[in-house]
Amino acid sequence: MTGPVLELSGIRKTFGGVTAIEDFSLEIFPGEIVALVGDNGAGKSTLIKIVSGVHPPSAGSIALDGQPVVMSNATMARMLGIEVVYQDLALADQQAVYMNLFLGREPLTALGLLDRRRMIAETEKLVKELDVRIPSAHAAIRDLSGGQRQGVAIARATHWASKLILLDEPTAALGVAETARVEEIVRSLKKRNIGVLIISHSLDQVFRLSDRICVLRRGKQIGVRDTKATDKNEIIAMITGLKQG
Amino acid sequence: MRNVIFIPMALVMMLVTGANAADGVTKGPNGEKPEPARSLTLTADEEASIKAGNYTAALVWHEMSEYTNAVNSGAQDEFKRLGITVVAQTDAGFDAARQKADVETVLAKKPSIILSLPVDPATAASVYDPARAAGVKLAFIDNSPAGYAHDKDYVTIVSDDLFQMGNRAGIAMADALGKKGKLGYIFHDADFYVTNQRDQAFKRTIEQDYPDMKIVAEQGMADTARSEEIAQALVTQHPDLDGIYVTWAEPALSVLAALRAAGNTHTRIVTLDLNEPAALDMVKGGNVAALVADEAYMIGVTAARAAAGSLAGKKTGPFLVVDSIAVTKDTVKEGWKASLNKDVPATIADAIK
Amino acid sequence: MSNADLAAPSLLSRINLQRYVVYIGFLAIFLFFAIVLRDSGFLTVRNLSNIVLQTAPVTIMAIGLVFVMSAGEIDLSIGSIVAVSALAAAVTIGQYGMVAGIIAGLGAGFVIGLINGFLVAYVKLPSFLVTLATLGLFAGVSRSMTDLRSIPVTDSLFTGIFGSGSLFGIPSLIWWTVIAIAIAHIVFRETRFGAHVLATGDNARAAAVCGISVPRIRLAVLTLSGVIAGLAGLLYAGRLQAAKYTLGETDLMTVIAAVIVGGTLLNGGKGSIVGALVGSLMMGMLNNGLILMGLSVSDQMIVRGFIILAAVAVSLREKNR
Repeated sequence: MTGPVLELSGIRKTFGGVTAIEDFSLEIFPGEIVALVGDNGAGKSTLIKIVSGVHPPSAGSIALDGQPVVMSNATMARMLGIEVVYQDLALADQQAVYMNLFLGREPLTALGLLDRRRMIAETEKLVKELDVRIPSAHAAIRDLSGGQRQGVAIARATHWASKLILLDEPTAALGVAETARVEEIVRSLKKRNIGVLIISHSLDQVFRLSDRICVLRRGKQIGVRDTKATDKNEIIAMITGLKQG
Repeated sequence: MRNVIFIPMALVMMLVTGANAADGVTKGPNGEKPEPARSLTLTADEEASIKAGNYTAALVWHEMSEYTNAVNSGAQDEFKRLGITVVAQTDAGFDAARQKADVETVLAKKPSIILSLPVDPATAASVYDPARAAGVKLAFIDNSPAGYAHDKDYVTIVSDDLFQMGNRAGIAMADALGKKGKLGYIFHDADFYVTNQRDQAFKRTIEQDYPDMKIVAEQGMADTARSEEIAQALVTQHPDLDGIYVTWAEPALSVLAALRAAGNTHTRIVTLDLNEPAALDMVKGGNVAALVADEAYMIGVTAARAAAGSLAGKKTGPFLVVDSIAVTKDTVKEGWKASLNKDVPATIADAIK
Repeated sequence: MSNADLAAPSLLSRINLQRYVVYIGFLAIFLFFAIVLRDSGFLTVRNLSNIVLQTAPVTIMAIGLVFVMSAGEIDLSIGSIVAVSALAAAVTIGQYGMVAGIIAGLGAGFVIGLINGFLVAYVKLPSFLVTLATLGLFAGVSRSMTDLRSIPVTDSLFTGIFGSGSLFGIPSLIWWTVIAIAIAHIVFRETRFGAHVLATGDNARAAAVCGISVPRIRLAVLTLSGVIAGLAGLLYAGRLQAAKYTLGETDLMTVIAAVIVGGTLLNGGKGSIVGALVGSLMMGMLNNGLILMGLSVSDQMIVRGFIILAAVAVSLREKNR
């Protein structure tokens, strides 16, 4: 049994005098999907930003594979193997799928030119592995459906994440069928031996996907439950403050 | 507004020639002595030979304006009369590079004649060199490319008589005021060949020929955008002026507005160039007494005739000038026709009735 | 889900049309003139090469604008950069010789572009307003530089290289066009810089999230556009053997039209260097053909306006659906 890929301990974040997160600790193991739930304003987004290097924590420590790290910006987090799939997906609509997959990290040929062949080949391989059904690696993002776009965004994160993927509301804008497709893709990430932290408003989805559920309420960590050992009522009680951890 | 349009080119012209208007006669851009445009006529034999030649012409303008339009239609009419087909016309929008492109383009039609107003005489040689090399007869309006020789490289330059325009304005003012009174003088306060010659000719005419008329207020105008304020100040400081000369029609409208605002019906305005609002005020018996205009249409006719004549071996002088006319309430119809070869605008025609 | 099956045919047909609109338009206009003007010298080698020569500066400026517009910005100041650069070069050549003149000309464009870029990228002002302001500002500068005078360029090596000369029987302006288009095409299509320019114009947030320095891209495209407009200034100075403050002033709209007709999106994310070349040649061919048809100046403007309107409408319709 390997150790946790991500280890947050005693994380606190204050903005000015306001405390957004207090004393948050969580471990995520490789191949594990942890869901982060809580009401609006509970601090989920702040936590994602801390883990992805956008906001440095005011106190507490972050360790990756047991090594303590200090991330001063998002680029650093990416270099350490942490990828985020944003709610708005952050895809360039007019560009081809493969260009999006390698955006900002395009491989070059010996001549210093874009290595399109390699980008296309790797895209096709990855898309196949994740079973993201897109017409072609050459298709422009705007010609894809919402679910296909989400698939591309996850594929991009998967390609670059060596340790952890953060998913922020991955299916908020999707229909039932597309949601199912995206959930399948997320589930398949487990095989890749990386950690997944997912934020979702849909408790049904959380129970379908996650191994453990972490509940945040007004910046406080209410508790962490094994998905199999809990039920919706308990989680709802924790989210709404009827039950303390 | 022709004057405004002419400013850049006029400056260059001035720098090139160092022209000075105070000597009482308009001189060509290279110091040529002017000859009246009307002295140029073709004999029946020459005309017959031109008509038999199946010649073509291209009109390469610097810019399209009411003035260019009048020149253009004069040229078109004369070419038509002489059986010459106009195969192309262009508008360079005051861009020398575009004028060069235009000359190259029209050469594809192998015209016998190119009539043109050079955007920038100082550098126009590179614009017209391909035409000159192709043996096209060149006739210019207002100025010629630096380094080009009359007769050898081009047929002639046709222009208006700047000194005469200022002089006619002075005479028109004297006529309007009964040869006596106090005058305001609004001149173009910038080193521009065209306006400077005209302004100075007006002043000189008043000073030399009309001892009972005095310029008591002089006001330079460097920026046309400020003409309103300048006019306002002049009218306020000198409410008792009998007449005001304004360097051209557009700022004259500002003077007119200032006079109207002050309830002044006494002070008369004389200015240069035809302008519909000014002319309307004039025919309605307002402040405007006269508008002096050149015979732009005749410039086109003359340039066309000179160029066509050269195809029949006729020599033309280096610098031909057309007349100018003082248009008053009584002559507005004829004046419009003579200057622009157009009927007066409907508003004015209605006002005369 | 049958998204893949549904997307394929419509995608295919649209891509084809979209990509070829400018070429089809170019061909249609060419054929029209070739037939109508068959006896008027349109098809002569001389006339056709004139079109390419005349449009060279516009084509060069269009290259810079493709980068700028693909990045979602606009550069209106190219209209006055051309004149400032040409005048700077002409004055400097007269005093210090050709090399110094070239440096001065390109340097002027570089500095103006850098100013634009800094204000857009780091002060975060909209490029439309910044370059509208610098367009006016440097139009004033170009007028005051030489008191409205034209400055002749007599250095025959300079006028040879940049305007009237030729190499292996091919006029230098054609060399400039071909080389500039080839380099720009490769940089735009095949380098990281080009990809990042497109991504920035497409979705600046996405680009930033992916580690692309969006401000640096904006600074770069506007600076590049300045330098390229400076090069256009040198070409004008070489071709006219003189520099004047009016150079380039009337080109701005032609350049924008050429770039848009050529398939570059006004709001970024998509661009084509070769399309801009064809668009620019199309504009030049239109000017040429309409003059040769013997139309009056006003009629030329009206017809040209309609054709540009149609071309832009078709190309934008194809792209925006």
